[in-house]
Amino acid sequence: MPAPVLRLTDIEKVYQTSTIETTALHRVNLTINRGEFVSVMGPSGCGKSTLLSLMGLLDEPTSGTIEVDGRAVQSYSDKELAGLRNQKIGFVFQSYHLINDLAVVDNVELPLLYRPGLNGRERRQRALVALDKVGLSARTGHFPSQLSGGQRQRVAIARALAGGPEIILADEPTGNLDSVMGEEIMNLLLALNQQDGVTIVMVTHDEQQAQKTQRVVRFFDGSQVG
Amino acid sequence: MLRHLFKLIWNRKRANGLLIVEIFFSFVVLFGVGAVLLRFGQNYRTPLGFDSAQVWRLTIAAPNNQKMPRPDLDAVLRQVKALPGVQAVALTSGNLPFTFSTNNSQFHYGTRFVESANHYDADDSYARVLGLKLREGRWFQPSDDATNRRPVVITQDIREKLFGSGPALGKVFHYGDSDQTMGTIAPTDDYEVMGVVDNVRMDNDFTAAMPSVWKRLIPYDTTHWESANVLMHVAPGEGGALQERVARTVAGTVRQWTTEVRPMNDDRANKRRYTLTPVLALVVVGAFLILNVALGLFGVLWYNISQRRAEIGLRRAMGATGAAITRQFLGEIAVVTTLGVGLGVLLAVQFPLLGAFDMPGSLYAAAIGVAVALVYGITGVCAWQPSRLAAGIQPAVALREE
Repeated sequence: MPAPVLRLTDIEKVYQTSTIETTALHRVNLTINRGEFVSVMGPSGCGKSTLLSLMGLLDEPTSGTIEVDGRAVQSYSDKELAGLRNQKIGFVFQSYHLINDLAVVDNVELPLLYRPGLNGRERRQRALVALDKVGLSARTGHFPSQLSGGQRQRVAIARALAGGPEIILADEPTGNLDSVMGEEIMNLLLALNQQDGVTIVMVTHDEQQAQKTQRVVRFFDGSQVG
Repeated sequence: MLRHLFKLIWNRKRANGLLIVEIFFSFVVLFGVGAVLLRFGQNYRTPLGFDSAQVWRLTIAAPNNQKMPRPDLDAVLRQVKALPGVQAVALTSGNLPFTFSTNNSQFHYGTRFVESANHYDADDSYARVLGLKLREGRWFQPSDDATNRRPVVITQDIREKLFGSGPALGKVFHYGDSDQTMGTIAPTDDYEVMGVVDNVRMDNDFTAAMPSVWKRLIPYDTTHWESANVLMHVAPGEGGALQERVARTVAGTVRQWTTEVRPMNDDRANKRRYTLTPVLALVVVGAFLILNVALGLFGVLWYNISQRRAEIGLRRAMGATGAAITRQFLGEIAVVTTLGVGLGVLLAVQFPLLGAFDMPGSLYAAAIGVAVALVYGITGVCAWQPSRLAAGIQPAVALREE
């Protein structure tokens, strides 16, 4: 039985303004095991991205606990959370979130900048390996604006991989791509999961892609329904 | 990380270029204003070389450009000197400390010359009245009547320029830059050095010492007295009553002559105000300019951060702490500032290298230091709040906004 790498227990997330209170997630209990590829599905506004932000330690739940490798993180300082994000988690976003003023290789190096003990040469080496893995060795000096959507997403995946994370959180990674490119990215993620054992949680609207993953978790109006 | 910052700034050079130019101009303004103020401050701290505290100026003028008979003038001097409260009087020409009247010339000795030196007319009591500090030789005395040459006393700086480390007393020098250009020189234009005094700053409190020459007034000279200036050394505590007595004494001697009696420190304060006004205007304009730059910088950084919210969210997701985000933005502005300041320093060092404005290199170095510190201070203050704001951006929200 693989060990849980992420565990969410009784998670509530409520967004509150002066006039309105919105419950984004309601009593969510979810365990992600090491090496799993889990899809999170549901209609827009059901709380999928909020869930991913909480899993990625980018946001705090209103109540409930999040455990990473069996350790609750709610008492962690900003520095400790940043360290966890840097060491354990890789992010892939629908809109890539590449820095347009940096070359491909510099974008991929980004998470390594925040990792102590790595010198410039090591960072560059790791970035080149990650780019090779996604098939973009020939594009290291290009800028994001010179790449296609699929290539940009591959750069984003390489960036997520460069830090050697245990978990990749992918928020609709194929949402902005046509079907061919979407397929290409999906295959890349599947390969990373199957060959390298990277745990992946992917938010998607695409039922076909979701079916290729090991488990599908469904949400509706902030609650887990399947 | 520094390389990363340089790379980011280089790749955003078009946007950062304007910021660099703005910082460069701020530096230039601060350097200019700083150099002027430091120069003024340095001069202010330098001794005047004479004492103006108990000295009054008595200006006497004959009406309708008439000449003043020297015996009448001498009678006035005697009677003013005899007034209780007046300790000494000296006759001099219109070139007076802290007034707007100056008289300068070139002087030369052999091949050495002084480009510009103030020259004054002075009688035998002048040094005592003003408290000039003799370094070598002596001041004028009645026995100088016997010489055909014109006895002069010079300041230390003119002494160094004309005579170097050699002896100065008894040497004779002349007007102009060389004997060849001056043609035939009359004995009265042979200036024989009788003494050397400390450097003097007679223009105003903020200017440097000027090379100065005092020519002895010949007691029997009657040629040029349409107006006369008398310096009086008065006892401490004397004021308006004595001023009135002096004016009445002059009027009692020659009724038509007009008089003005004024403490030298009033002239000094007047000249100080006159000199400081344009400087203050420069400071105000400079401060206004710097304020504009600061506000502009603040706005640019604020805008910059609002444009880069997604990048901030991304960096947080990649493992940056809030403090690291603050450091990054402060670091970016530090790099941009360094580039702007670097260009400014490059320009500023040309001034001492070219010997511009006759200012010492140490003063330019201090002005550069002050300008560097102020520019970094201003940019640091302007960058601090937006950078803190950037650190407070919620990564989850910022990433969703894209």
